[in-house]
Amino acid sequence: MRALSYTVAPSAEAAVARFAAAQGSARYIAGGTNLYDLMKLGIEHPAHLIDVSRIDGMDAIETDGDILRFGGRALMTDVAYTPVVRDQYPVLSESLLKAASQQLRNMATVGGNLLQRTRCMYFRNGAGSTSMVGVYPCNKREPGSGCSAIGGLDRTHAVLGTSEACTAVAPGDWPVALMAMDATIEMLGPEGPRNLPIAEFYRLPGDTPHREFNLHPGELVTAITVRKTPAGRASTYHKIRDRESYAFALASAAVALEMDGATVRTARIALGGVATTPWRSRAAEAIVTGSPLTPELALRAGRAAFADARGGQHNAFKIELGARVIADALIIAAERRA
Amino acid sequence: MPTQAFSEIARVDARDKVLGRAQYGADVKKPGMLYAMLVPATIAKGKVSALDVAPAMETPGVVQVLGIGDFPALRAEISYRGQPTALVVAETVEAAIEGAEAVTAVYETAPYIPLMTSPGAQRVDAEGFNAGDVDRAFQNAATIVEGIFETPTQHHNAMELFGTVAEWTDGRLTVYEGCQNLDAVKAALMKAFELSLDQIAVKSEQVGGGFGQKSPPKMQTFLVAHAARLIRRPVKLVTPRGQLFHIANYRPRSVHTIRLAASAEGRLQAIIYDVVQENIPDGGFRSTGYHEDIARLYAIENFRATAGDIHIDRQMPRHTRGTHPFPAGFALESVIDEMAYKLGKDPVELRLEHEAKNDIIAGQPLSPHFLNDCLREGASRFGWSRRLPEPGSMRLADGTLVGLGVACGIFGASMSASEATLRVRADGTTRMISSGHEMGQGILTAIANVIIQGLDINPDRLEVLLGDTTLGPQLATVGERGTASCVPTAAKAVEALRARFAELAGANPPAGNLHQQLARLKRPYIEVKVSELAPGQDASAIEAYRTGGRAGTGPDYPGFTSMSYIAQFVEIHIDATTRRIRMPRAVSIADVGRVVSPRTAKSQMYGGVVWGFSTALREESEVDPRFAGYLNDDLADYVMAVNADIGEVDVGLIDKPDPRINSVGVKGMGELVMLGTAPAIANAIYHATGKRLRKLPIRINDVL
Amino acid sequence: MEDERSETTQTCGVTRRVVLASGAGAAAASILPLEQRAQAQQQFARAETGQTVQVSANVNGRPVILEIDSRASLLDLLRERRELTGTKKGCDHGQCGACTVHLDGRPVSSCLTLAAKIDGRQVTTIEGLAEGADLHPMQQAFIDNDALQCGYCTPGQIMSAVACVTGGHATSPDAIREFMSGNICRCGAYVGILAAVQQAAKVMEG
Ligand SMILES: Cc1cc2nc3c(=O)[nH]c(=O)nc-3n(C[C@H](O)[C@H](O)[C@H](O)COP(=O)(O)OP(=O)(O)OC[C@H]3O[C@@H](n4cnc5c(N)ncnc54)[C@H](O)[C@@H]3O)c2cc1C
Ligand code: SF4
Ligand code: FES
Ligand code: FES
Repeated sequence: MRALSYTVAPSAEAAVARFAAAQGSARYIAGGTNLYDLMKLGIEHPAHLIDVSRIDGMDAIETDGDILRFGGRALMTDVAYTPVVRDQYPVLSESLLKAASQQLRNMATVGGNLLQRTRCMYFRNGAGSTSMVGVYPCNKREPGSGCSAIGGLDRTHAVLGTSEACTAVAPGDWPVALMAMDATIEMLGPEGPRNLPIAEFYRLPGDTPHREFNLHPGELVTAITVRKTPAGRASTYHKIRDRESYAFALASAAVALEMDGATVRTARIALGGVATTPWRSRAAEAIVTGSPLTPELALRAGRAAFADARGGQHNAFKIELGARVIADALIIAAERRA
Repeated sequence: MPTQAFSEIARVDARDKVLGRAQYGADVKKPGMLYAMLVPATIAKGKVSALDVAPAMETPGVVQVLGIGDFPALRAEISYRGQPTALVVAETVEAAIEGAEAVTAVYETAPYIPLMTSPGAQRVDAEGFNAGDVDRAFQNAATIVEGIFETPTQHHNAMELFGTVAEWTDGRLTVYEGCQNLDAVKAALMKAFELSLDQIAVKSEQVGGGFGQKSPPKMQTFLVAHAARLIRRPVKLVTPRGQLFHIANYRPRSVHTIRLAASAEGRLQAIIYDVVQENIPDGGFRSTGYHEDIARLYAIENFRATAGDIHIDRQMPRHTRGTHPFPAGFALESVIDEMAYKLGKDPVELRLEHEAKNDIIAGQPLSPHFLNDCLREGASRFGWSRRLPEPGSMRLADGTLVGLGVACGIFGASMSASEATLRVRADGTTRMISSGHEMGQGILTAIANVIIQGLDINPDRLEVLLGDTTLGPQLATVGERGTASCVPTAAKAVEALRARFAELAGANPPAGNLHQQLARLKRPYIEVKVSELAPGQDASAIEAYRTGGRAGTGPDYPGFTSMSYIAQFVEIHIDATTRRIRMPRAVSIADVGRVVSPRTAKSQMYGGVVWGFSTALREESEVDPRFAGYLNDDLADYVMAVNADIGEVDVGLIDKPDPRINSVGVKGMGELVMLGTAPAIANAIYHATGKRLRKLPIRINDVL
Repeated sequence: MEDERSETTQTCGVTRRVVLASGAGAAAASILPLEQRAQAQQQFARAETGQTVQVSANVNGRPVILEIDSRASLLDLLRERRELTGTKKGCDHGQCGACTVHLDGRPVSSCLTLAAKIDGRQVTTIEGLAEGADLHPMQQAFIDNDALQCGYCTPGQIMSAVACVTGGHATSPDAIREFMSGNICRCGAYVGILAAVQQAAKVMEG
């Protein structure tokens, strides 16, 4: 890691101005749980760090009106345990509480979480101050160098949204829940404020897997909003991983339902751990919408979500696993209807 | 004569540990200390043709760079990815890292063999073993089961990293580091730096977990010592986890082909066993060791073992907790389970019926042991009788599949000659100088308990010292022989001290505890120094102990063989839909001879179940053959068990002394405690699903 | 470089240029003769590298003001710039929990916390938990339940365990296990850790 300067931004405007002044060599740092880690791994090399974790008011959590509004630097812990979120939007709360560890959730922000980078081992490991045993070819790390995961040890890789250039999984849990809840991202950039539906926030890898977000340089995520909906209550974030805690998803599902008795009126289904971006499955939603939910129908919906999936060397099991996670999640969510 | 049962005392170093005061190697701080960082090779095999350290030298804060040729260990020939090529020393950790990152190398690469399955990988046969008439037994067999079992490459991953601090004062070298074999490190340093005995001290007060990884001398120790001498300032190196994966030793992948024959009456008759493992040429971990423990587990008289190694281009594999009997036992205990199904017998019954009395390897009796007591006690605590034999027949109301499994483990009870010096003072204090390393196994507590139980002293002011070469020879704490070696010596010291005191005090000793009595007798202290041998050893063993030679022996002693035993039971739940595997319950019962420190022994038993669980369901070091490095070289991608993985665990110890092995009747347990868990889990998964899984780790994709 | 001093040393048959000091950051402390340097480096007056930032914080109830390499982690601040080595390094990447400390009363991984970030805040480490000679109830519970073996993960476990109780998460065995899962114990002391948290919860909650 090279020498760098560090300053604390007092306001969002000041942060944006400082970023612009640094002419591309600056990065915002919030909790640092991903950025500092990537700096230690030799993947990120900022010359200037602008700390946005103390910006006045940007940690506000508002739940009074028609929308839930989470400040960009609100901590994962604080959002997860906000009573309205915990009681009426279990999908949001669970997606946060099933992520990382309690220590990390006390550091990590809900804004930074949206922007964390993949855990693909070829991307992360094998270089940097802590490993330095050789950098593997990786198009995300070094555009044009190739993708080692394709044809390699890809057990944890994506089966949906992949390209010839990259099959890395989008790691975050919270963005999957937000995808199901049609969240909006509020940003402030050099050109002023801008809002973007989360569905437009993430980019498929295509030929440019190193470009992951539709965020302009210097844009600061100031808040995340979710429109209040009764679907929040009958919801869950179901996550299967290689151990019972402190691990990223092998496959996960965010499900929120509105029910008429046993019949599904509306369904929102998003997937994690299996795709290159947080993944909404309209196909799965269509299957359950308007029908009484049975285990068989739930599994059919799960399978539909993976109709276009493509397995690699070692990850084809995720197609079956992912379908079953959706099926289980649908049943759990339905059991929570008021 | 073996002693009576020991009462429980608290772990003697627990207070320091909960206060954060326990000193590990990297906790040492010296005035003017510098920080070092290694630079690893980024090829698997070949040569460094050029190493550019200039950019590192120019990095602000960097004080010194050692490169190829500056020290014998820094060689141009590269034989594994991650091999150190340079050491950067700087004023701060940050500068050392920046400097290390700035070093660049040009390599000539050579073809390499990364895995035992790689093209060109060849088996080299090792020595086998034969007992009885295996061929005839198989010809006469009524039932045969067989299988090919595989255990993965795994890393020890003690939580403590490799930390080394070296300091020279007036030509004297002092090294602080976590270590399981100080004498070996000391001897190697003396040789490398041409030092005499009074010019070297190696200290390892506390070790943050060893599990076998910290027993061979480490290259970094020499590099850091060399740098410290060159720069004339103390130097600290804490090797990052990612590099450790590549330079520290590891458990090699191994493949076990096993056939088990039973007679028409359901007697187990014969085993044909072959093992092959990954290794490097002249590797220190022998493939010939796998059959040695398992061949002694049951009364199966005919046994043929063959073994081989496949040479690969990685760093050296070595002993890892559970060492040979863990992979071999996974194979054996799985086929025993399968045989029980084939014979229509209960797996516990089948084992009980085959209690071993003889050691077929040494051709002599086994010392009396209590494996069957372990099985019976475990079965009763576990509620084994509730098990329905049919695979897939047990379910919870929500459809969760339930599997119950059992498996046993066995480990040789070896011992080493050792010495101890015990001094009781009139001022109320007692000091015991013993030998070995405290790695969490509780050796300090065990020794303390022997003294506290045997002498009327002030227990709070007892100091047990070990883990420091300036105290005297330090025996290697490996192969679970530490406690079994030090405790009998401590017991002898206690007796000697009592005898000495009786001599001193005569027929009418004064009142009070030993300290008070000494004060009344106007004696500032009394001291005894004793040595103790393992059965069959003579005085040459003490000489070997003093000079860093082979002071250990067993588990076969003249006239008998002594082994430790364990029986483990697990309940496995598999979610109906997602097939998530969980272990809500486990019972583990062991025969480790006399239990000297009940509390720390129990903790080892708990820890063993966690280790076993983790080896069975979590851990695998993954090597991409295109690069030959460990891809998952961190603690997120190398998945180890966390708290939420572990359900209710019930442990028990038979606590009956082995009267033949030593005066206390104590055998070892550090490796034993994990041995049954993995096969018990695999057997339980079979019971839950009807699917026999022969390759570890077992993951969700195996049961979908 | 002006302030660089070189000399030639003969060791192990290899001759090398030994740079005793280089670069601006390192110069002042290193150029002194050995004995004086040792004194100059007493306690915290040590050389810093890189670009530095000033940090003023409260560590275990005491004010701390220091100039530190802006790249440094809180963990390396505690361990290498203060005498606070109770906090351990197990991974340096947020993956093990050995480095857990409290920042403004909440557990964080100090290896992924930039040292600069503690400016104006309160840090509590394992050394700051006990009051005087009395152990914290959680420390006592770890002893009573032998919730440790090698002890390397223990400081981190205890810092998390305290927060498990004070944060109201010690509600059931499973809740405790989940909360404590950010602290890996390779010795496998999880059963004892669960028991310790349960015991201390009774004491702490009165
Ligand atoms: C061991 C480990 C396990 C983990 N497990 C999980 C898991 O299971 N599930 C999961 O979802 N996550 C997991 N995480 C990831 C963790 O949740 C993220 O690292 C965290 O949410 C990132 O938030 P942060 O505030 O620390 O971001 P930082 O690391 O500070 O920043 C991340 C990125 O976002 C940018 N950034 C930060 N804030 C803003 C802002 N307001 N506007 C614009 N840009 C910004 C930064 O420049 C940087 O590029 C894990 C992390 C670790 C280390
Ligand atoms: S999957 Fe993507 S991140 Fe991983 S190696 Fe390939 S290009 Fe890199
Ligand atoms: S050292 Fe910080 S989490 Fe491992
Ligand atoms: S006690 Fe050794 S790692 Fe936990």
